[in-house]
Amino acid sequence: MVSIIDYGMGNVASVQKALAFLKIESIITDNHKIIKDSKVILLPGVGSFLQGMKNLKERGLDHLLSNEVIDNKKSFLGICLGMQLIMDKGFEPEECKGLGWIKGDVKKFDLKDLAIPHMGWNNIQVKNDTYFSTCKNLDFYFIHSYYINLKNQNEAAATANYGHDFVASIQKENIFATQFHPEKSQDSGLSILKSYFEKNA
Amino acid sequence: MLKVRIIPILTFNGFGLVKTKQFGNPRMVGNPVQSARVYNSRGVDELVFLDIFASEQKRKINLKLVSDVIKECFMPVAIGGGITSIEDINDLLKIGADKVVIKSKAILDKYFIKEAVFFFGSQCISIAVDVKRYDKGYFIFNNLDLEIPLEDFLSEMIDCKVGELIINSVDNDGIMNGFDIHLINFILSRTQIPVVAVGGGGRMEHYHDLFTKTSVKAVGSASIFHFTQFTPLDIKNELRNIDIPVRL
Repeated sequence: MVSIIDYGMGNVASVQKALAFLKIESIITDNHKIIKDSKVILLPGVGSFLQGMKNLKERGLDHLLSNEVIDNKKSFLGICLGMQLIMDKGFEPEECKGLGWIKGDVKKFDLKDLAIPHMGWNNIQVKNDTYFSTCKNLDFYFIHSYYINLKNQNEAAATANYGHDFVASIQKENIFATQFHPEKSQDSGLSILKSYFEKNA
Repeated sequence: MLKVRIIPILTFNGFGLVKTKQFGNPRMVGNPVQSARVYNSRGVDELVFLDIFASEQKRKINLKLVSDVIKECFMPVAIGGGITSIEDINDLLKIGADKVVIKSKAILDKYFIKEAVFFFGSQCISIAVDVKRYDKGYFIFNNLDLEIPLEDFLSEMIDCKVGELIINSVDNDGIMNGFDIHLINFILSRTQIPVVAVGGGGRMEHYHDLFTKTSVKAVGSASIFHFTQFTPLDIKNELRNIDIPVRL
């Protein structure tokens, strides 16, 4: 069973729809017992970093997720805001501590000639192909105004370019996360989710 | 590199899909769920679904139908029509909309738009801007008899930090005679918010012109897909030939 964490941050229905299409059982929940009993934790989310952390804390999920992912080494998949929240800190809309599982912070794009948010399909460069090897087309759907600044560059599983290179995916031990939306990236996205859950669920 | 987005726009009248000309003469063009299924199988970049009569007829969008449309889509979907409250937006996001498109309410109440951005984040609030050209300049098309210069409305929406502007040229709507290049450049020179250019696409050279004479990164079209043999893929192949980055 996959727990899709319900913390009031945006479009969880699409994630579940993609998993259902791949015939992967999932539940949208904030129930601590269900999350503890599940095999994989999926943290989706869109919206601001500060609000995301506040909503996790209000539900006691910040400690629970850290226990499960860091202490118990449970498989974790973060998507978009769900990838940003695992960093040390963010600045959206003001400085705020994150879950701190990965060293680095989350900064706003500062680009003179390009639109913000970075919205649309962009290609990635794969650095660690554990979950990307079956993927034929490397264009994915992004929608974000903030990007991750990793302290340890070898934790980047993929990068993309928008004004400059930025981290499109992170992989470290039991943690995998994407800045893009695999659930919105048609065949490419579904292929990553498939390969992820074949290895982890 | 970021690819340009080619976005089919489905306009709905409460019963079926319709296509207008200069915002009048709606003509029936099919079934929304079937169309969504076809566009998903063709791998389009994104889909916009608008109930264009909801506000005028003072009704809410049909959530069951929207949900059936979204179920067909494994790409981003933006939904609009009759949105007047935070609850309306929440209802659409809950059933899987990625963005909501707001028009009438944005003209009447910019504080609502600010509130919506605060609650849900810039990235999911798109504003539809219907623009009509007069001798004295560009104005916001509306049936409330309000005279709103485009420039004023634009600065309000920029101030609200909305995530996207869908710019419809009312004069060019459904005419298939080319985009209003001047209008799109007018908008792009005033904001860093992503813009979708809509209204006038009918032949390949119109898309060629749009993407070479402006720096816009997204186009929305309806008539060309309803009334000609061209598909979004044809447009992308055309653009690839002139080195505009597209997703194939």
